[in-house]
Amino acid sequence: MSAPPKEGNPVRTFVDEVWGSIFRHGLPTTDKVAARTALTNFFLHIHPVRVKKSAIRVSYTLCLGGLSFFLFILLTITGLFLMFYYIPSVDQAYQNIKDLQFVATFGLVIRNMHRWAAHGMVITVWLHMARVFYQGAYKPPRQFNWAIGTLLLLTTLLLSFSGYLLPWDQLAVWAITVGTNMAKYAPLAGPYTRYLLLGGRQVAQGALIRFYVLHVIALPLIGFLLMVVHFWRTRKDGFTGGL
Amino acid sequence: MATVVGGGNGKGDGRGRTVRTPRAPLPPLPRPITGPELASPPLVVRRREEEETVVTFPHLVWKEFLAGLAAFVFLLAVSIQVNAPLLQRANLAITPNPAKAPWYFVGLQELLERFPPVMAGVAFPSFVIIFMILTPYLDRNPSRRPQDRKVAIGMFTIYLCLAVAFVVIGVFFRSLAFNWDWTMVLGHPGLSSPT
Repeated sequence: MSAPPKEGNPVRTFVDEVWGSIFRHGLPTTDKVAARTALTNFFLHIHPVRVKKSAIRVSYTLCLGGLSFFLFILLTITGLFLMFYYIPSVDQAYQNIKDLQFVATFGLVIRNMHRWAAHGMVITVWLHMARVFYQGAYKPPRQFNWAIGTLLLLTTLLLSFSGYLLPWDQLAVWAITVGTNMAKYAPLAGPYTRYLLLGGRQVAQGALIRFYVLHVIALPLIGFLLMVVHFWRTRKDGFTGGL
Repeated sequence: MATVVGGGNGKGDGRGRTVRTPRAPLPPLPRPITGPELASPPLVVRRREEEETVVTFPHLVWKEFLAGLAAFVFLLAVSIQVNAPLLQRANLAITPNPAKAPWYFVGLQELLERFPPVMAGVAFPSFVIIFMILTPYLDRNPSRRPQDRKVAIGMFTIYLCLAVAFVVIGVFFRSLAFNWDWTMVLGHPGLSSPT
């Protein structure tokens, strides 16, 4: 609760009023205050107010779902930074990456973080899936949330895959060539799928702009939407907790 | 079921009449546990900790903060030490040997070496994705305890092991022309396999 106005120091009173208008409740000194804070704070409201102790044991969750989400946020932030420097053109993309590495302040570290966090997210999402399976946490009533999770794993893979092309180096182009070649083996639709993905018959400007748009807009939006549903269902279906 | 008029708060219906909401019957008192039941306790004895709840703020939020902080510090340390790869500028006229997919798809590339393309590139991955989505609907076993789920756990473990093995083979044991090569790991640079 906001502090009652105090006689005397008007600056202190003003600061208290501003603080109280933003944070309606204090630090979680008691369970009651903690519950009120969690209920009235937008960011904390992602969690239920109370949860089974066994459901949040680190040895039970291994923090894998949370870490995947954390990496997604980190990738969004570092990705935004990279977007200021990167132009999705076959003539400029490679030089942009070189500039990021050697010219832009902290560009190298930010790019490295983006790259390693992307690999990390593929691993944590995968391990999260394994953890949920081994604990049977996909069983009723959580069947649908498992299906959403599977789609999130696919989105993560596609996000990583689409980002792979953007540096426009030999590693990028040939990895995408090999990867998209797999698509063409599908009967009937295969060659068309590949053509649609690449915007042409080989990895060139058409592919770069498509992968760029997929990587920075389409797939993050899809991923975000799926995550919102995934977290919502996790709350509504309840936490599993100890076996 | 009682017909509730005017909100059913037991005070009035807005027209001066008093409406009383019937109170739900109290749950029956638990039966005292008798001798034979004491002798054979129920099969599943829940630990006390399982039912115990805590407020998520700060208990869960604190753990999340620490995990995030640790992940950030770890990533920062790795990013300072290890640079992301950047090879020569893309050149479609020069095919690197071997040309590999990103590591998480290199397992599929490994399958392509062993099976017809339609199987490895399309049928297997589609089957895995559909089977994974349908898993909760196919697994009719209600128990979550590992000792009751030997088949499910066995099947999933085999799948995990195969997936990891194919990725490891693709990344560490395939070199020129995607041929098998022990030397990448065991290290005999002069003896790399012929193309």
